[in-house]
Amino acid sequence: MFLDLFYIYENWYQMKGTQLGEFEELVLLIVGVLHPDAYGLSIREEIIKQSGRKVAIGAVHSALSRLQEKGFLSSDLAEATHERGGRRKRLFNITAEGKRALERNHEMRNSLFNQIPEIALKGLNLSGI
Amino acid sequence: MAFKELHNTPKFASRLLKWLIKDELLEEIEGDLFEHYQCLREDHSRFRANWAYRFHVLNFVRPFALKKFGQNSNQLIMYRSYFKFAVRSMLRKKTSTIFNLGGLVLAFTVCGLIYLHLKQELSYDRFHERAEDIYRVAWFNDNPQTRTPHPMAQAMVADMPEVEAAVSLSPIYGPGLTKVTIPITLEKSNISFEEPNGFFADSTFFDVFDVKFIEGNLNTALETVNGIVLSKSMADRYFLNEKAVGNRLSFGPSTDMLEVVAVVEDFPLESHFHFNFLISYMTLKSMSFNDPWMSWDDFGHFNYVKLRAGATEEVVEAKIPEFVVKYLNWSEDGLNDIRQGDARFDLQPITDIHLKSNIRWELESNSSMTYLIIYGVSGLFILLISIINFVNLSTARSAQRLKEVGVKKTLGAKKGELLTQFVFESVLMSYLALVIAVFLIRGLESNFNQLVSGNIDSAQLFSFEVIGFLVLITTITAVLAAAYPSIYLNALKPGEILKGQGGKKIGGAKIRMALLGVQFIAAVIMISGSLIISDQIRFIKNKDLGFSAENLVVIDIDNWEDRSEILKNRFLQIAGVADVSTISNPPGGQFNQHPFYAENDPNNRIDASEIFVDHEAFQVLGVELLEGRLLDKALAADSAGTSFIVNEAAVKELGLESAAGTDIVWLDNENQVKGQIVGVVKDFHYQSLHTPIRPLIMTIRTQSYNKLMVKFNAQSLSKVMGDMENAYSEIYPEVDFEYSFLDQQISSLYEEESKTLLLTTWLSAISIFLSIAGLIGIVMIALKQRVKEIGIRKVLGASIYQILILINVRYLLVACLGTALAIPVTFSLMRGWLENFTYQNGISPFVFVITTITLLTLIFITISVISIRTAKANPALALRNE
Repeated sequence: MFLDLFYIYENWYQMKGTQLGEFEELVLLIVGVLHPDAYGLSIREEIIKQSGRKVAIGAVHSALSRLQEKGFLSSDLAEATHERGGRRKRLFNITAEGKRALERNHEMRNSLFNQIPEIALKGLNLSGI
Repeated sequence: MAFKELHNTPKFASRLLKWLIKDELLEEIEGDLFEHYQCLREDHSRFRANWAYRFHVLNFVRPFALKKFGQNSNQLIMYRSYFKFAVRSMLRKKTSTIFNLGGLVLAFTVCGLIYLHLKQELSYDRFHERAEDIYRVAWFNDNPQTRTPHPMAQAMVADMPEVEAAVSLSPIYGPGLTKVTIPITLEKSNISFEEPNGFFADSTFFDVFDVKFIEGNLNTALETVNGIVLSKSMADRYFLNEKAVGNRLSFGPSTDMLEVVAVVEDFPLESHFHFNFLISYMTLKSMSFNDPWMSWDDFGHFNYVKLRAGATEEVVEAKIPEFVVKYLNWSEDGLNDIRQGDARFDLQPITDIHLKSNIRWELESNSSMTYLIIYGVSGLFILLISIINFVNLSTARSAQRLKEVGVKKTLGAKKGELLTQFVFESVLMSYLALVIAVFLIRGLESNFNQLVSGNIDSAQLFSFEVIGFLVLITTITAVLAAAYPSIYLNALKPGEILKGQGGKKIGGAKIRMALLGVQFIAAVIMISGSLIISDQIRFIKNKDLGFSAENLVVIDIDNWEDRSEILKNRFLQIAGVADVSTISNPPGGQFNQHPFYAENDPNNRIDASEIFVDHEAFQVLGVELLEGRLLDKALAADSAGTSFIVNEAAVKELGLESAAGTDIVWLDNENQVKGQIVGVVKDFHYQSLHTPIRPLIMTIRTQSYNKLMVKFNAQSLSKVMGDMENAYSEIYPEVDFEYSFLDQQISSLYEEESKTLLLTTWLSAISIFLSIAGLIGIVMIALKQRVKEIGIRKVLGASIYQILILINVRYLLVACLGTALAIPVTFSLMRGWLENFTYQNGISPFVFVITTITLLTLIFITISVISIRTAKANPALALRNE
């Protein structure tokens, strides 16, 4: 019963297609930042460091696996190391598809930002810029 | 990152991770968590690190990472296949599946209902938190009784350190110890009901019994004069949603006499007495005419004690004789009886009263352990029969699946796997039966409650205990049913099976026969047992009671003001009324008793039940006069209540040949009535046949009549009743016309027996039905195996009848053997039951003859019907097979 619910949930995720979710975009960007040493734990540390968001390791892995399914990431297993108890780590790389998705998101955001009329921002922007 | 040393991750969490996570993701995830754990250990305590680790492991319970059990697990795949095999084989053999399932459902339902019933009967009076410390003081001499003197309760608290609290109570009795209903009226809204179950009680009532308070003050409730405590259900009748405390109620004609001081929760059904209202003893004591009743001389109250935790009843019982002789104002003889233990005050544990106590003046009619044993044993028998059926049928079915087993074994199925498969199938079947049975129990709940006038609640099925019980039964059934076939089939060599050599004969025929024998024994015990019960009940119902209860209507009369003479005369004018008489209590009721003795022999005191009659009563009841004369209105001594009529039993105890004319002294409480026995009547059964006829004394006393007995002509019943009701409401306009028929009253004394009869009849019908169903199953298997044999016999010239007899003979032998074993068992069981009755019918051998003949005939017919086709079949067809 509860496994069935999980499958439905998973299918629903796949149906979301190649949209890039907010957290996914963050993970994708961090993978790029950490290149070539991006793996689960290091990505989590970086997220915490850069954005201050406390996320569980499981959440990161989950996002990584979805990104890989969507074809935005590729991965390879590295050498086994001592500090991992002799286990290998999976290193992630952004694919061309992933790069395009990031650019698309970036462009769209920029273009939308540029379309905001000056007047709308005037009253809000009190200090700084 | 380099660490000084590596730490082991928490064990259980690591194992859980391995078990949960997909194999292809496991390595990287484990690695990440391991590394993370090491980091944490650098900076934090081990405790914190462990919890963080566990948290992250649990956080991996996400769909992307979990193993897909349904698809990947070998175990699940196998169970899925077992399930498919089970369902297919169930569907293929629909008849046998229905037989099998039906039998189990029936047995589980019956067992479940009986279990709930027993559980309820055994739970009486356990709702008091310290039920095991509460006892009733009862008086045991050669005629034991529940009632003891009122001062005894508080004297026990004062004199015995073991007794923590005690209460004295008494139902509100009418004259001659009939339980009366009291008209209670709320004047302001003019609501009036005839309330039964009214009690007088000490202020310590709530110290002994646990009662939930709804309104009022617990501590002072029963300390006020004229205070009344209402049960919730009664309070609702008068003051639906209003506050009851503080209102005044009228007690009979005494307007606004009582003040409601508290409202309490009703006792649950599982209590040996129930009260509608309690009135304080203070009220009674304020009225001086009650003094003798409140003294040590009157054994007229129900006394309950609560012992201190840890005190045993034996210690208290041992102290009683010495304690009680200080208070009793008796002759030395009487006190010596107590010292020597010939007459004792015993403590009856309150939890035993409902099932074990059946002495004089029980507050409500109690049940009996014997019946529970009968029900329990019947339930177990039915379960046994149906388990045997299930085992036999499963074995038979397994024989038809030899090829399946052979193929599976060839393909590498291990022994354990085959065993699992069979156990799985029978577990599936029996749990299916269980689920259906639970629905049936829920559905049959109210019918069953009606049948046994019980109050089982099927919602109790969902308690841990009951579920445990059912699951246990079901699992035992399933394992037994699976064990034989799987062991047997496992032993066969696959090669032989597939070649077709192993499967011709299903083994275990002897075991099946033995099991069949056990079924027959159970069935015979149940059938002959219920025949004996029904014989005994018929015997009781037809026994000559010594008076005639037919065509007698008993009408309640209110004796606050005596209008009974007027009513009698009015009734006599109604056409169809043959005779009318007033009486204190009609036969079949409860009777007060006081001692009397012959004036010239004062030491021979006789405890005699008493009935106050008028001069017509003997005629109306049809009691036979043996010597002397009946009472006569015209004689002054008779009307003054100094002429007595006694029964034979009394004469015998007096030790006289002829009693008429004997001068006696009758001790009616404080009054010593000197009088004369004027007549002796033949013994009649004024009490139920559970008890022997005891001495009885009858006299006239106008103020003590409670009932009017009307003898009527049967043809004109409805008209007579209508006329009587009209006449009654003219004379007693304020009272409802309440009546009952004496013969019905008398047969209600044997209600418990009738109920048992009904239930055992049902149970034995079910048991015989199940045994025959099992027999059909077995014979069908045997027939299949003997097709060729029968064919050959026919070719060699055997007739159909010879073949039928050949098939029948072994089953009939088993049945005969079973019956022979069952008869002595039944005999001893039922003799024990019959000992409950003073007047026993005895066990007629005829019962066993009938049972045996019925069973054998039934078996013969069943077998013949199902085997006739095989016997008639063309032998060529049978022999050409294969």
